[in-house]
Amino acid sequence: MKKLISLNVNGIAHELAVEPRRTLLELLREDLGLTGTKKGCGIGDCGACTVLVDGVATFSCLTLAIQVNGCSVETVEGLTKDGKLSRLQQAFVDHGAIQCGYCTPGMLMTTTELLRRNQHPKEQEIRKAISGNLCRCTGYQKIVEAIQEVARSENEEI
Amino acid sequence: MILPRFDVLVPESLEEALEMLGEHADKGVRILAGGTDLLVDLRRPIIPVHVPRCDGCAKHPGGMVYSTIDCELWLSEPTAHAGGSLRNALQDSRRISPQYLISLHLLRELKGIKRLDNGSLYIGATTTIREIAHSEKVRRCWTALAEGADNLGSPLVRNRGTLGGNIANARPAADMFVPTIGLNGILKLQSLGGERLLPARDFASGPGLTVIEPLEILTAVIYPAPLSYSGSSYYKLANRKALEISTVGVSVSLTLEAPDGPITDVRVALGAVGPTPILAESAKGILLGETPDEPLFKKAAQAIRKDARPIDDHRGSAWYRSNMVQLLSERLLKIAYIRAKRNK
Repeated sequence: MKKLISLNVNGIAHELAVEPRRTLLELLREDLGLTGTKKGCGIGDCGACTVLVDGVATFSCLTLAIQVNGCSVETVEGLTKDGKLSRLQQAFVDHGAIQCGYCTPGMLMTTTELLRRNQHPKEQEIRKAISGNLCRCTGYQKIVEAIQEVARSENEEI
Repeated sequence: MILPRFDVLVPESLEEALEMLGEHADKGVRILAGGTDLLVDLRRPIIPVHVPRCDGCAKHPGGMVYSTIDCELWLSEPTAHAGGSLRNALQDSRRISPQYLISLHLLRELKGIKRLDNGSLYIGATTTIREIAHSEKVRRCWTALAEGADNLGSPLVRNRGTLGGNIANARPAADMFVPTIGLNGILKLQSLGGERLLPARDFASGPGLTVIEPLEILTAVIYPAPLSYSGSSYYKLANRKALEISTVGVSVSLTLEAPDGPITDVRVALGAVGPTPILAESAKGILLGETPDEPLFKKAAQAIRKDARPIDDHRGSAWYRSNMVQLLSERLLKIAYIRAKRNK
């Protein structure tokens, strides 16, 4: 039996009837059409499906939609404001931190949380923070460099 | 890998949760906390069961049945001659694949870290690993637990995974369970009839098996107040620094009478070297009442090695694990000793 939940996604309030076994990932991609969030392994190993739930980086594949009833969710679509990439997104582009791009939405969400918590993380802190997001293309170096560029700046915007 | 069909119950109080547990106990019910273990387990092909080929029945060529839904579809066919095996398969898979999950996410009383009046530490079962890793209280006085939290899974697993879930799953390598035994944690198990307190070391009865009763919920873990001059440490040995299951985990807690000894209490817990975490009893015999020094720690580590019962698997051989138990025990005894000297 479907259950009614309400949640806020990227600042927009939604009310949806969901099947109990529906994951947050399926809700975002299939019910709301927000396909920026990717499905990778589906078992919490790769981090491709990372979104922010009440500001905390969360596997959307291992979170049931019912569990986020009343929560505020941010996805990669929410990082772009008025068609302009966030500073972090632009840094990823500038540093070639994107190759196939599949891990990128998850990397961006995890890193957005890190930079909100800690404006100037050290390299080791960056590497630890993204240790749950797998990338098979870049070898992580370019991703770390992109994040460092944002971390160095005094501009508080991420 | 879609999730099997189940209903999710969302109780608003612990009492309601316990009532739901009683109501659905016979239909297969599991407690859902962070979901980082349970939702993964539910996705796996659920106990494949071999159903024999049925002569004269073209529709049922025999083969492997993977899920409750498959079983129900097959059983709904009137010509299912292999019904007996299927019915058994259905029962087996129901045990693994529950019809109901009870999600504890609304129960605020199960969340949080607080110090009780008697100085002991009370951590609610659905407190996340991240909250434990970030807690200064925990790091100062129950260091081994903070070090377990630092190294569990990945940051994303720590954000969702819970203390209660890690313990209730009772994996022999569990990074919160092993230091909980090392720190003499007491589990609070609640049922409608009341609560019982159980030392964490008595909780696991095998890999993934515990002595929890079907109508009980693990609601909190209580860690006794550390005495003066006591210190603890935990080390997770694994092939990678993240997203890894330990090859060996060792947790040591040490209490001294005065900064230079003698040792008045010691607990060494070993992970991933037996069917459950092991409390190394031989450490006590060698260390208690003695003045701590390097030769003593070396001797104790040799004895602790004999308490481990490791097996060979893809993470490491039994030989390697035994060696690492000895090496890590010696090293962690020293670290716990240094910490104990400083903690007045």
